[in-house]
Amino acid sequence: MNKIIFLLIIFCTNSFSQEVRSTQSLNLFSPTNIKKFGDYLFCQHDYLRASIEYEKYLQNSFNDTVSFKIGLANLAMGKFENASNKFLSISQNSVFYNLSRLEYLQANFQTGNYDTYRDLYENLNLNSHYKYFFKARELYSFSFLFTDNPLPQKKIFLNTFPEGEQNKIGEFYSWKSDPPYKSPVTAALLSTVVPGLGKIYTHKYSDGIFAFVTVGILGYLAYADFHANHNFRGWLFSALGAGFYGGNIYGSAASAQIFNAEIKFQFFNDLKNFLEEHNYFVPLINFCK
Amino acid sequence: MKYIYLILIFFTVRQEIFPQDALASQFNYAKEIYNEGHYFDSITEFKRLIFFDSSGKYNFTANQYIGNAYKAGAKFSNAINYYTLAEINAENYNELFTAKINIIRVNILRRTTNRAFQLLDSLNCDKKFSNKKKEIYYWKGWAYIFADDWQKASGAFALTDSNETLQKLCEKVDKEEYSVLFAQIISHLIPGSGQFYTGNYLSGLLSLAWNGLWGYLAVKAFVADRIFDGLMITNFLWLRFYSGNLQNSKNFAEEKNLKIANKALKYLQYNYSGTKP
Repeated sequence: MNKIIFLLIIFCTNSFSQEVRSTQSLNLFSPTNIKKFGDYLFCQHDYLRASIEYEKYLQNSFNDTVSFKIGLANLAMGKFENASNKFLSISQNSVFYNLSRLEYLQANFQTGNYDTYRDLYENLNLNSHYKYFFKARELYSFSFLFTDNPLPQKKIFLNTFPEGEQNKIGEFYSWKSDPPYKSPVTAALLSTVVPGLGKIYTHKYSDGIFAFVTVGILGYLAYADFHANHNFRGWLFSALGAGFYGGNIYGSAASAQIFNAEIKFQFFNDLKNFLEEHNYFVPLINFCK
Repeated sequence: MKYIYLILIFFTVRQEIFPQDALASQFNYAKEIYNEGHYFDSITEFKRLIFFDSSGKYNFTANQYIGNAYKAGAKFSNAINYYTLAEINAENYNELFTAKINIIRVNILRRTTNRAFQLLDSLNCDKKFSNKKKEIYYWKGWAYIFADDWQKASGAFALTDSNETLQKLCEKVDKEEYSVLFAQIISHLIPGSGQFYTGNYLSGLLSLAWNGLWGYLAVKAFVADRIFDGLMITNFLWLRFYSGNLQNSKNFAEEKNLKIANKALKYLQYNYSGTKP
């Protein structure tokens, strides 16, 4: 009986010790485990640590998936130059070659070098039969909306995009081809004729009314003072009125320029929001399904 | 025969007693670099530990350390995320309380004190932590300090029994601070008196002089039936200096209070040896 109990104890402790041995033998820093941990960090969106782990892994092994994922991690962190370098390092034999070229293009688009993007798009010899090629083509068309280069024909331009998005993109196209800018010269001339009208033309309604009332009151006070032989006050209010009148003309021209800068800023903002909302910058392959 | 049994048992059990397993070594390594202040690397190593620890044995402690490291790097949102993970993985009420308090401490530190008060109130109402009331009041005191309510902070520390230093300091700061409302009210009545109250005598004197001058000229113009002049002086000069005087008295009181509070916080940062947020 004692022997049986003894054997049972030995069996139990042995089986437990096997578990312990399995963690003892676990090498957390073996290349495979480094890669596994890197994959985990990548899917946790801890891209900086993921890329560090992947770089460690690549010191001893070659893996084009890992190189590609370092590029994606850098892209997600906004390190576009590092991302570009990594995507360019993917060799032509790799299954990620076409994809890495597209991501490389995207990295260039995101840096805001739209002319460079177009040059690269035209000279990279991209495989137009590749299933994700349409993304590069769409961004190519979008790049025209960000620069002052002549736009392609509307029909050709819109045909690049899926039907569901054509209406909204059509609006962007129309805005870009005929931006609703206000002319600073017109604003200044309007304010010369009627003080404040130039401001109203640039949609600054309260400023326009204020300028009209102020110049009007100062003019009236100058007239009334001259009329009552209060010459000093008459000249004082005349000078003030003239200052306000001139300032209002200059202010109207400046207001038109500010108006133009604001709507231009708003246009680019809307455009960038549209690209983000429609997932134009989401990696084409999801490694974390 | 007995000796053979003993030798057999020794060799079988030896492996469990003596060598550390890889996870324990990793834990020690991560802890060591954390203690050396290499917070970025320690986060990586604790995350590695959590990833490979399939049993979840280190989940609570590792997440706590990650939270601490993020907090040390002023990444407060990340710190709260990991303290919350520690809270989820807590195995007993003590661990649960520690994790919750750590979340509160980060909220105090980043001055989201309303959230800290909400969490402290919920802890206070929780019967599981009825034996931790003093600690809850202690952190409530700190939350009041960071909410710039030194009077309530002093009241909260009074309930902890053990923290006379903090209680006295809060009382002192509360007494030293100026009343912004009082400064404004007296400046409404006598221009410049709010500045005098906060110790800015020159500014107070100038304010009084300017308001006196423009007030005198305005009244003189109205008395002499020069209504237009009176209106111009009142509107463009007197009222401008009067409202400037009110704004000044408010600003001076707030600036002084900020200096007093910052001095106290500096003292707490460098000289107070107790637990801080």
